[in-house]
Amino acid sequence: MNIKRSIVLRVRIAFVAVALLAGAIFYKIVHLQFVEGEKWEAKSESINFQYRQVSATRGNIYAADGSLLATSLPFYRVVMDPIVAKEEVYRAGIDSLAFLLSSYYRDRSADTYKRMITEARTTGKRYLILNRKQIGYQDMQKMSQWPIFRNGRMGGGIIFEKVEKRYRPFNNLASRTVGFLNEDKYGVGIEYSFNEYLEGKNGRALFQRIAGGSWKPVFDAEDVKPDDGYDIFTTLDVNIQDVAESALLRQLINKDAEFGCVIVMEVETGHIKAIANLQKNKSSYGYGENYNFAIGDQGLTEPGSTFKLISIMALLEEGKIGLNDIVDTGDGTFRFYDRTMRDVKQGGYGKITVQEAFEKSSNVAISKLVDQHFGHSPSRFMAYVEKVGLDQPLGFQLRGEGAPYFKKPGEKYWYGTTLPWMSIGYESKLTPLHTLTLYNAVANNGKMVKPMIVQAIAKGNAIEKKFQTEVVKKSIASDKTIKALQQLLEGVVNNGTAKNIFSGDYKIAGKTGTAQKLIDGRYTQRYYTSFAGYFPADKPKYSAIVVIDSPKGFNAYGGDVSAPVFKEIADKIYAQDLKLNKKTAVPTYLAQGINEFPFIQAGKVDELQMICNKFGISNHYNGQGDNWVKSVPQVKSIQWKSNPTENPTVPDVSGLPLRDALYVLENKGLRVVYQGKGRVKNQSISPGTPVQQNYVINLVLG
Amino acid sequence: MRQDDLYINKIDWLTITIYALLVIMGWFNIYAAVYDEQAAKSIFDFSINSGKQLVWIGTALLLITIIMVADYRLFENLSWILYIVLLVLLIITPFIGKEVKGQVLSIGFGSFRIQPSEFAKFTTALALAKFMERPSLDLTKFKYQIQVLTIIFIPIILIMLQPDTGTAMVYTAFFIMLYREGMPQRYYVLGLTIITISLLALGIENNFYIVIGVVVVVLILILLGKKKFSRILAFSILGAVTIVYTYSLDYVVSKLPEHQQNRIMVLFNPDLDPLGVGWNVTQSKIAIGSGGFAGKGYLEGTQTKFDFVPEQHTDFIFCTLGEEFGWLGSLVVIFLFCALLIRLVFLAERQKNRFSRIYGYSVISILLFHFMINIAMTIGLFPVVGIPLPFFSYGGSSLWSFTILLFIFIKLDSHRIQLLGRMK
Repeated sequence: MNIKRSIVLRVRIAFVAVALLAGAIFYKIVHLQFVEGEKWEAKSESINFQYRQVSATRGNIYAADGSLLATSLPFYRVVMDPIVAKEEVYRAGIDSLAFLLSSYYRDRSADTYKRMITEARTTGKRYLILNRKQIGYQDMQKMSQWPIFRNGRMGGGIIFEKVEKRYRPFNNLASRTVGFLNEDKYGVGIEYSFNEYLEGKNGRALFQRIAGGSWKPVFDAEDVKPDDGYDIFTTLDVNIQDVAESALLRQLINKDAEFGCVIVMEVETGHIKAIANLQKNKSSYGYGENYNFAIGDQGLTEPGSTFKLISIMALLEEGKIGLNDIVDTGDGTFRFYDRTMRDVKQGGYGKITVQEAFEKSSNVAISKLVDQHFGHSPSRFMAYVEKVGLDQPLGFQLRGEGAPYFKKPGEKYWYGTTLPWMSIGYESKLTPLHTLTLYNAVANNGKMVKPMIVQAIAKGNAIEKKFQTEVVKKSIASDKTIKALQQLLEGVVNNGTAKNIFSGDYKIAGKTGTAQKLIDGRYTQRYYTSFAGYFPADKPKYSAIVVIDSPKGFNAYGGDVSAPVFKEIADKIYAQDLKLNKKTAVPTYLAQGINEFPFIQAGKVDELQMICNKFGISNHYNGQGDNWVKSVPQVKSIQWKSNPTENPTVPDVSGLPLRDALYVLENKGLRVVYQGKGRVKNQSISPGTPVQQNYVINLVLG
Repeated sequence: MRQDDLYINKIDWLTITIYALLVIMGWFNIYAAVYDEQAAKSIFDFSINSGKQLVWIGTALLLITIIMVADYRLFENLSWILYIVLLVLLIITPFIGKEVKGQVLSIGFGSFRIQPSEFAKFTTALALAKFMERPSLDLTKFKYQIQVLTIIFIPIILIMLQPDTGTAMVYTAFFIMLYREGMPQRYYVLGLTIITISLLALGIENNFYIVIGVVVVVLILILLGKKKFSRILAFSILGAVTIVYTYSLDYVVSKLPEHQQNRIMVLFNPDLDPLGVGWNVTQSKIAIGSGGFAGKGYLEGTQTKFDFVPEQHTDFIFCTLGEEFGWLGSLVVIFLFCALLIRLVFLAERQKNRFSRIYGYSVISILLFHFMINIAMTIGLFPVVGIPLPFFSYGGSSLWSFTILLFIFIKLDSHRIQLLGRMK
């Protein structure tokens, strides 16, 4: 074989071999794309198309003024696939990433993070949850710019998994009432009780996998659209709730008590404006919302003296007594069978009227009267308890309501002593909400309404369900009796056990309660103190109950522990509520009938002087250095009267334009709410009242 | 100077055009592979691979310019020096390079990194050309065979140490060039027989069938030829060795590192481990298979956009093409590669001196090997070995090394007239 032939042959063989290989490749591609094409396409669709659940957005929970109490926000779980990052990216970024993670989460050191990620990288763990704590959208944006992460999911292995999380803008405010729902669908409060409305209905849709491993919805006839949850509109008032919680907290800390709760209700409608529940815990304040004592089972207790209202009502309705009848309380003790009833006052109150007995909360007097008139037929007394519905659960809108407990005459545990002790609030169990419902009925002139916390369920503008105030009993007693009860309750504050909370501005009516706690079958020196009542007594707008359990210290009675909280809450509500509070309209010179100088009523002295001088208006100023003045028109001139704002009291801002008023009031730490236009006509907190931080002051301009 | 003016006209612009088309198509496909609809970035964005590839392309142009203006004798004169420099780099790579997933492939400073194993391809080609340039060199002589094999196997061994089996395999492509240059056929028959037997041994579960096949073939060979004792003995021994080899192969494979073992076994049965090793191939097949006749359209591919295939912008770039441009697109690329290779064969055969021709065949061999193996592996014809598709795949080292490889040959070709004079 000559060389030339050999080479030609070799080239030909090589060419045939290459052609064969190329042919094989060509054949395989044709086979893949045409013969098996459908198979691979189907496979790709099965991987890339999937029916996936589309979560319905959970409804919001609103306060009465439209503030958001609970809403759903997107949060992200930070997961990393540590294998993905290239070695150079990884090397360059891991130290700063670990440092950033550590300084963001503040739970592990940078070294720990680095070790964690590096270990996962070497062991081939492809799904590393960097931290269980979920992050918000803003932080997610920031985090995605961190080293390694900034290379994205495919380059840096970062995965942000979106989770909807319930967010409460007011944090712990009424947290137990707003409630929660855990993953097992168990929960408390509104979230739990109204879950069927809030949760909505999940949909289903066809999704296509797109770049970055996320899913994109594609149109498909079989889609089931998610039905978003309804919004729940509560009756809660954020301001009142805030006031109630802070007043309660202060007193709980002050008295080192175990727990306490407050309910504030609108008399006419039964709308609950606030429910605060605080119990000792390990939080920084020492107290937190752990249980809804106001409503739940654990809140069921022997009500104590607040129950005396029923006893007196029964006596009055039977026509057995009048308020001025005399009762002999003797030396403050009275024996019923084998038990001795005692009054708080050593030596007793002697002979007192029924009114005084109630005001002073004499156990002896009330139990003696009840035993005397109902002892022979306790069921007649019980009939009054039943008549006002205290023996039955209220059917409140929130689940988990505690059921009241009363012994029944003729039962095994009904003793001779049961009735007298029941008449002063023992041997029975009520929730604070029950007691308040009764007091509210008295405030509402006998009309008993069912307390309610949810007033409407709606989606967008469409109202799905509206809850009207339910009247439980048109009248729990005769008008005469109701009037007498109101008089008694006012008397408690005017002269009796709650004299310390008497207010000159408006009247409070109510009753203190102090029950000894039954622990392991024995009454102890631990008390359950309460104050139930309403205000303003002459035209009741709100009723409220304050309960404080196991206060420590010397004065551990309802009048000393719970009543001041009631007073504080009432004061603040009263200060905020202009409708309640008409008489605080500040008298200005207008009230004096002089209106020749209408536009400068108050302001800064230097500015006012300048204006008057320009216009040639004679004016005088006697003060020194006082910046803020009011105008006092004289016959032919104006006198500037200084209007000091330095005192730690609420300044007089009447006559000031809004800008000045805001400046003055907000410098005092007050929160200003205003209506109208022009100058301040009216301010809701009287000038001279001591300033409390974050009080809301309402201004009317005009 | 007059000679230099002359050579511009001799440049083979057809090859350069095909090269440019492949590089540009590759660049668009790299963008498609990393394209994210939700966070669409420009193809020029340097934070993504297409932007970086543009930098590599730009620097490749610089390299081309340098090669084209350099003296054509430079490459020949520097052959040995370059070969040795790259060998040194290969030796030191495991010590100063960066380790990625158990391999040390690249060296460099900061973000500038090169893979010596890529560049050693053209230095080895130059060295072989230089060594085989002598007309006295006769590849049928055992002495020369050993010398040539030594030049090829030093880099292979060094690369195996990194370890990078895929790239090391590429160096066997020089056998194609050696075949052209007169390496005896029996080696190729033997080699192909071993490969065939190996594939059969691994692919067919029951080795008994292979034994029968071997016995039948040996009998036929004996019966066809002269019935001389020595020849019968030789064929019988060969048959026995084949059978022993068949059985021992299974044992050897079971001793291989698991990832290599899996790569081999999955070739025969991709469904063996559809989520593990077979994953790449299955996903790649889904991509190409779902492309159909004309593909899903540019940037419309879904399969290739996920990080299903870890090396999809490098080694698996062909599946992006197959998915988005379908059968037509694949055909165009295969056509371009075939056209390039045929053109290069034409160029190599018209060389008037051995150095240029041998170098040209080396270039053809390497490109052919890359092209065949890469596409074969993406469509499941060949085990997954991590080698890029020339000019197409993402990566600075591979683009540069292929560019240098190709353009040295274009440069040499353009001076073929001058080189004629040196024909001995």
